Amino acid sequence: MIPRYQKIVVLVLLVVSIAMAAVLVRLRERAHDRLLKGEDLAPTSAPAVAPAVQASLVVANDQDGTMITESQSLPLPADGEARARALIEKLLELYAEPGSTHPVPGVPRAVLQVFLMPQPQTQGKSDAPSGGQLAVVDLAGDFADGHPSGIQTEALTIESICSTLRANLPQVAEVRFLVDGQPRATLAGHADLTRTYLTLETTSPDTAAGATP
Amino acid sequence: MLAAAALLPGSWNLAGIAQANGAATGQKFIVVLDAAHGGDDGGGQVGAANGGTAVAEKNITLALSVRLRSLLTARGIAVVTTREGNVSLASDARAQIANRATANSGGGAACFSLHASESGTGVHIFVSSLAPAATGRFLPWKTAQSAFVARSLKLAGTINAALEHTSIDGGGANSGAASGSGPIPATLGRATLPGVDSMTCPAVAIEMAPIRGTDRKVITDVTDPDYQTQLVEALAAAILEWKTDLETESPKAGGSQP
Repeated sequence: MIPRYQKIVVLVLLVVSIAMAAVLVRLRERAHDRLLKGEDLAPTSAPAVAPAVQASLVVANDQDGTMITESQSLPLPADGEARARALIEKLLELYAEPGSTHPVPGVPRAVLQVFLMPQPQTQGKSDAPSGGQLAVVDLAGDFADGHPSGIQTEALTIESICSTLRANLPQVAEVRFLVDGQPRATLAGHADLTRTYLTLETTSPDTAAGATP
Repeated sequence: MLAAAALLPGSWNLAGIAQANGAATGQKFIVVLDAAHGGDDGGGQVGAANGGTAVAEKNITLALSVRLRSLLTARGIAVVTTREGNVSLASDARAQIANRATANSGGGAACFSLHASESGTGVHIFVSSLAPAATGRFLPWKTAQSAFVARSLKLAGTINAALEHTSIDGGGANSGAASGSGPIPATLGRATLPGVDSMTCPAVAIEMAPIRGTDRKVITDVTDPDYQTQLVEALAAAILEWKTDLETESPKAGGSQP
């Protein structure tokens, strides 16, 4: 014989379960409706093309280990991170062209992302913000794997990226590199990717990685 | 006597390099030859620019190291090599070998990291990009070379001068000579060099690249035996001059390190 109080408990639990199921179904329907409504609100026209602006690309030359600044008119986005990525992509496109002074095989999406963030405080320095930014450049694994191996060629790639960022985004004081979102010891066996590169100390066109004596 | 002791990675122990000394002892002038890469790390592929068979960088660097060691040993100079065969070595291990070898070298030292590349032209001479710093009893492992950068730059200059006395087919292409022979073209540069940055001795990285004409076509590849011989002999001459300079500068101390 089942006690009466147990029958009541089972009945209450059953009613609560049915009520919860009904609420969940209703919530799911509302979420689905919100999703469909959001899709309807999506823009149907492509964003306007960014206006062309003068940009400075610091291009490396393997022959004498120097770098020169090339001015180009490029459609660059206003957003800093997107602009930095577009600049580096353009620089690497130049390197992939036939007859390049710094030949590096091109890949479709060599720069996965560029993040700009406030420059971290260095130990021993004041707590006041420096105003500078740290750029974290996430390179594609295919690009790094296909990069020619050598101290000079790898150093020139790194330094030309840093110098190009500095020339167009003066607030970028430091650059770090990732490959496929992960830290990597070297670019292609030589250039150290574990360190933070200071854009002021890296090569400018006047102080190249290598210079013919 | 040791003037500057780099710490072993991750340790702040007074022991280590100051007391650890294997092959090199006494007041001898020591040369450390580090053939880059090795074992699983083959480095780049070189020697295929003119349709030749590609050779792993590790084999070229080892060949250069062995030839240079033979030349220097024949001239009475003590040589320590980081590897004599196809073995893997981390950059920290290479620096440890160099620092142990040169720790008590009252007669001075010179450390060479040997590389080869398919990019660029001629010989690339690299010195650490670390800013010069004052020496001390303890040096941070990753930037120990900063206390030796000034001397490393001087060593690079000596090597550059020695290369100007070489003569090879296609040499001097960057100097305007269209063809014929001339000195091996050389470029001097600064770079971040794991391993070299931790060495407590005047240190340079030597990167051997093909010699190219003004049209960037390869004239002499890194696998050319004559090119290798010329480079090794130039390095040996530079080391002898470096040693002589040290003895002249400090005859009693024997050119003690900074």
